[in-house]
Amino acid sequence: MIDLRLSRVLALATVGLLTLSGAISAAPAAPATPTAAPAYDFYLCSTVARHYIIGSKVVSANGLFRELPDGSWQHFGQADTTLTGFAVDAGDPKVVYAAALNGCWRSLDGGKSWQINTGWAITDGRDVAADPHAPGHVYFAYVDGLAFSSDHGRTWTKRETGLPSQANYVATVEVDRTTAGRVVIGGERGIYLTTNAGRLWERVLATSATVNDVQQSPHDPQEWLAATDADGAWSSRDGGKTWTRLAGVPHPGPLYNLSFDPTNPRRRVIGGWAHGALVTEDGGATWEARNTGLPQPALVWRVGVHPLTGRLYASVSGKTLYRSDDFGRTWSTDRLEGARVNAFITIPRQAPVAAR
Amino acid sequence: MTRFLSSSLLRTAALLLALTAPLAAQPSFSGPMPSTSPVSDAAARRAAYLARANEAITWVAGNTKYRTDDPANFDLAEVIAKMLLNQDLEGCSRRIIELMREPGHGPFWMFPTTCAAFVGRDRLSPEARDAIRQAWRTTRQMRGNTENHFVMYYTSLYLMTELYPDDPPESWYNGLSSAENRREAREFLIHWMNLATTIGQGEFNATHYIAEYAIPLVFLKAWAKDPEMSRRGQIMLDWIFAELAVTSLHGTLRGPHARTDEGSVIERWNAMSSHFNWQLFGNVPPPAAYAIWGVYFAFAAEHYEVPEVIYRLAVDQSPDFVQRDHKRTARRFRFDDREWGRTYKTSYMRHDYAVGSYQGGLVDPIQSHVWDVTWAEAEPRGKHNTMFSLHPHASSRVMQTYFATYPEPMVTGVKFEGKPSYDSADKVMGCSPYEQVVQDLDTVIALYDIPVGEDYPQVNGFFSKDLRDVTEDASGWIFARGGNAFLAYRPLAPYRWIPYRHYNTGWAKQPKELGGRLLVSEHLRNGTIVQAASASEFSDFAAFQAAIRALPLRFSLEPRPTVTLRTLRGSTIYMTYGAAPVINGRPVDPMTWKLFEGPYLNAELNSQRLVITHGKLTRVLDARAVTITDSVRIAP
Repeated sequence: MIDLRLSRVLALATVGLLTLSGAISAAPAAPATPTAAPAYDFYLCSTVARHYIIGSKVVSANGLFRELPDGSWQHFGQADTTLTGFAVDAGDPKVVYAAALNGCWRSLDGGKSWQINTGWAITDGRDVAADPHAPGHVYFAYVDGLAFSSDHGRTWTKRETGLPSQANYVATVEVDRTTAGRVVIGGERGIYLTTNAGRLWERVLATSATVNDVQQSPHDPQEWLAATDADGAWSSRDGGKTWTRLAGVPHPGPLYNLSFDPTNPRRRVIGGWAHGALVTEDGGATWEARNTGLPQPALVWRVGVHPLTGRLYASVSGKTLYRSDDFGRTWSTDRLEGARVNAFITIPRQAPVAAR
Repeated sequence: MTRFLSSSLLRTAALLLALTAPLAAQPSFSGPMPSTSPVSDAAARRAAYLARANEAITWVAGNTKYRTDDPANFDLAEVIAKMLLNQDLEGCSRRIIELMREPGHGPFWMFPTTCAAFVGRDRLSPEARDAIRQAWRTTRQMRGNTENHFVMYYTSLYLMTELYPDDPPESWYNGLSSAENRREAREFLIHWMNLATTIGQGEFNATHYIAEYAIPLVFLKAWAKDPEMSRRGQIMLDWIFAELAVTSLHGTLRGPHARTDEGSVIERWNAMSSHFNWQLFGNVPPPAAYAIWGVYFAFAAEHYEVPEVIYRLAVDQSPDFVQRDHKRTARRFRFDDREWGRTYKTSYMRHDYAVGSYQGGLVDPIQSHVWDVTWAEAEPRGKHNTMFSLHPHASSRVMQTYFATYPEPMVTGVKFEGKPSYDSADKVMGCSPYEQVVQDLDTVIALYDIPVGEDYPQVNGFFSKDLRDVTEDASGWIFARGGNAFLAYRPLAPYRWIPYRHYNTGWAKQPKELGGRLLVSEHLRNGTIVQAASASEFSDFAAFQAAIRALPLRFSLEPRPTVTLRTLRGSTIYMTYGAAPVINGRPVDPMTWKLFEGPYLNAELNSQRLVITHGKLTRVLDARAVTITDSVRIAP
């Protein structure tokens, strides 16, 4: 079930074309042991400042974290409590982007120095995605629409034709990894698809509540999942063109984000305030809340799955980061004490794509 | 959950510190009520204004907050105050270097640091000045998420990049050059000024957040090298202060408010706005510790001159006038096709009381205050001199409308972030989508149509500890006296009384009982009518009650709340929830209102031109032409 792209990534890794700065996590009892060098990097956008308000002092351990080989988390970049998304440019792994309250930050040196060019009108970032086939092409989801950059985040234009003229809150953006310029976004009024890098958006699903997250399966690029604030979870089997409600996922009830398990094509997880961690291990036919061992009520802020080990993570609001090596049957606290994770980000390693 | 700036939290914490300090160090706070007689001599007015600023500066510099002479304990305000008084400049430099080792993140660090940088230009050591400069290179600054955040952030950035005009991108925290940052800051500031002067201010009439505008604007006025930007700062200061002067009752700002807090909505004087009335006009005592942030205005106060016409508005109002204004909601991200909602504000000012309202509905997600009657008190300190009702609405949908983050944690979280009463049935602050208000002079009708399923299906009426002779009349009216005002409150549905519990603004605490009661009416379709009058209009309280009882009143609550009332002033108001109110046969159409309309302030919608008038004095603020024009009418 591993798709061609993942096979390509693994193959590239095997022949040494990738920058292998990381190693397999030394975390215990990983349920799935990779047989090749890491094909993904795993990042967090996290804050350890509880109840942060503008004006509070920010400790340095807020912002971006990358996983180290021993399973610990290494902070890099600037302290920022407001990061909600992270992406790596297709043309150069040192070119990275972060969605934040201020807008879209970019770094050309792997996170050592940062610049922001989104200006005052593009603010309250929610998500960012880089096109894996188009170096320098970046999509930035924010509270008032969708902005696009074709020059590594140096300049930005709003690309909102087809979106509502107002109330076009965009919460999530995901680039189809099979096709340059094919992008799916979710927002206040549903899911929108573009095939021309945002020049024209078409609504492919109308929802009665904000779409909080959209993800493409790492196993089957035709499969997509979406989680909404009060309209359940949705699935697409045709690359995001049509969508079907996932009958096994309770709704209403806020669902904040979701993740596929890159190590197991039958596993997915959805996290949210009302239901905690909802998991499936049969490809989405049945879903089960697995919250035993999490603080009760399980006010799950975000869920994530480690791309190499299949370890399940749940960030619990007001508590800390929890992890499970049996996909939610038991939980323990992670080393990142007090963390509230805003995003778990898996970046497939790949050979840089030449600029077009 | 970063959406909230809670300067109010910082204020509360600092107030606690301040209140433990010797009160004698704040003579205006602890002294008698100031004289409210207008001062005609311009030099005397100016001297008094500067003396008030100096009082605040001296207090801050006097270490009364921390009771120490050790520079190691100075905070930034203390350092700035000492610099202004040329005290211990070496210690100030050392302390600046220490403070800059751990810079803050965001506008509430930026504007004090900007102030230190400018005041310290010729007072700090080169090393201290460099420490400030380096902090702006190394530490990411969060822009925030409310209008006042943006104003503070961009004013600070504008001024700092003027101070260091040619520095390269790598010398600023955001990787942009001085010129790029200055351009962006200028663009935003002008955008904001244009917005405020065409369709009205957001965060209007704020009891506390007035400081978050006035302080950066006075910095802009004082220190912008670009004379146009400096003049823009002056125009906006005049604009804001003119409204403060007109809508304050003897130096106390009253409702409605886009944003207020649990303290000042009850104890009306105890607000940052009183600090500004004190500083600018000297007609009321300042709050404790000069409301903390207020001292930052004092630091640059010498660069602003209060125009006489605005001074006169504050201290020499003719009684009985109506002022109507257009205002603006907070920016909406979801559930509304309008980025900004229109808000229509009415004030009726009398000597003994004032009545104010907007039309109801959502203005700001948490801290709005829709209407009240506030009466004058000869000594306002400690007095809860106000009456109003509200629907205590709290919802995740509102959070989603105005904020980007997920609502469920936010509804819980705001209680720990400076808005402790937000999700409480007995709160007395906040607006509701299920409230509609009409005001005609000193009559207010508030109707409620609360849907089934609301968390708090009730209407709360605030009855102050300072009301006298509260009488539940058989007619259904409740009569009371507040100061020299007679008040009549008519609940339209059955009710019960509970003690008023005060949620102290700040980190969540147990509410306290400070006296007073809440009238709680647990009915979905509901309403409140309030009629105020001056005691001097009647022979006695009984005569007022008789007059109220005689008012023709018909109402029904099903299928929708509907009221027909002949007011004490002879108007007939017909109002059904969900429809335009009708006064004397004419539907109220606030869309036709001007940006400002009244005897003292007038501006056409979208004109950007405010005409401020008092007697023979006129000042015209033209925010489009960036001009200020004064004239004096010569008597024929």
